[in-house]
Amino acid sequence: MNLLFKNKKISGILTVLPSKEVLFEDEIENYNFSAAKSMKLKMAMGYNKHRIVDEDTSVSDLCVYGLRHLLDHNLLKKEDIDALILVTQSPDYFMPATSSVIHGELELGRDVFCMDINQGCAGYIVGLIQSFMLLEQEQINKVVLLNADILSRKVSKRDRNSNPLIGDAATITIVEKSETPNTIYGTIKMDGSSSDALMIPAGGFKMPANAETSVMHEDAAGNFRSLENLVMKGDEVFNFVQTEVPPMIEELLSYARQNKDDIDWYMFHQPNRFMLNKLADKLGVPHAKMPSNIVENFGNASGATIPTNISYNIGKELENKQFRFCLSGFGVGLTWGALLMDIGNVDFNEIIYY
Amino acid sequence: MEKIYEELAELLEVDNINDDDVLKEFEAWDSLTILSIIALASENYNKTLLAKDINGAENVGNLIALITA
Repeated sequence: MNLLFKNKKISGILTVLPSKEVLFEDEIENYNFSAAKSMKLKMAMGYNKHRIVDEDTSVSDLCVYGLRHLLDHNLLKKEDIDALILVTQSPDYFMPATSSVIHGELELGRDVFCMDINQGCAGYIVGLIQSFMLLEQEQINKVVLLNADILSRKVSKRDRNSNPLIGDAATITIVEKSETPNTIYGTIKMDGSSSDALMIPAGGFKMPANAETSVMHEDAAGNFRSLENLVMKGDEVFNFVQTEVPPMIEELLSYARQNKDDIDWYMFHQPNRFMLNKLADKLGVPHAKMPSNIVENFGNASGATIPTNISYNIGKELENKQFRFCLSGFGVGLTWGALLMDIGNVDFNEIIYY
Repeated sequence: MEKIYEELAELLEVDNINDDDVLKEFEAWDSLTILSIIALASENYNKTLLAKDINGAENVGNLIALITA
């Protein structure tokens, strides 16, 4: 579905990363594969190190830490927050919504609209679309969009298919009304018939966690995981991304009447370097315009990877310059979407550590 | 037709390959090689393959038939 938004902007991005860093080599013994084969995979996929939370850190902890940083440094005022959206697939509880927990921790006002969205890899796109829709309301001038996941706690340490690429992170994006006519073009697509391509099978109401769902099993490739762990059909996800993402980007550019060369940065979700380079080649976009270095430095933190990508690769430059971005997220759902928009002269764009 | 033998030999890390070579017997046969074959089939032959199709091919000849079908 094509979407169009006007007079909205991103005015700040903060990325919160766990301070605990784990090297690929440190986990290599957990895998049921030869070290040589694992090292080959490391080179191709761009695995090096990833950042993960401790066992007792939750999504609300990361988000509250980041929000307090913004409040303490006068980068955000409590009374200016009209809505708080949290996009996550690792909520603190089934109920209440984690955005309510965060609202309580920060003692926000009663007129702040809070909502959780269950989205992963495409979560930044979905979160921004939802933020833009809220900003159509006269009363809503500033939305705090949180993208946070701590899926390292749901991935089997003996799963070489997923463990080395997963990282944890929270990002805070301030979205607000803009005086200048900033036109934003968007698209979002879904295919629920492949909802099992990326999933955590047990632990919800359909298959509650019990003694059996926690038993570790070996899959055909030699990875060990239980039904309570994240499972990814890597080949199906690869095919989905290569088949669906390039035509979606082409379609969006044509809808917006923009050329590929007009775009300064292609900030895409970060599954791994291999997939991103194949995607850039298929789209005919120079690798330098599509950074693929988030997994090797921090790991893939689902919906948080696009803002992390912007914070890490552009950093302070975004505080006094403006660029034309193509943002795209794709994965769990399956869901895939993209936005074409100008971002620049933001109040802040930085990374802090929890 | 020659080209695909060269492309697959490179992915399998050998100098040359024959139709009756068994895939699982290559030293380099692993999940990364399978993913690279999926990528090659998609990029150069516009063919969507899954890991299970490739594993089911057993030898080089069957695999090439799958990719170029």
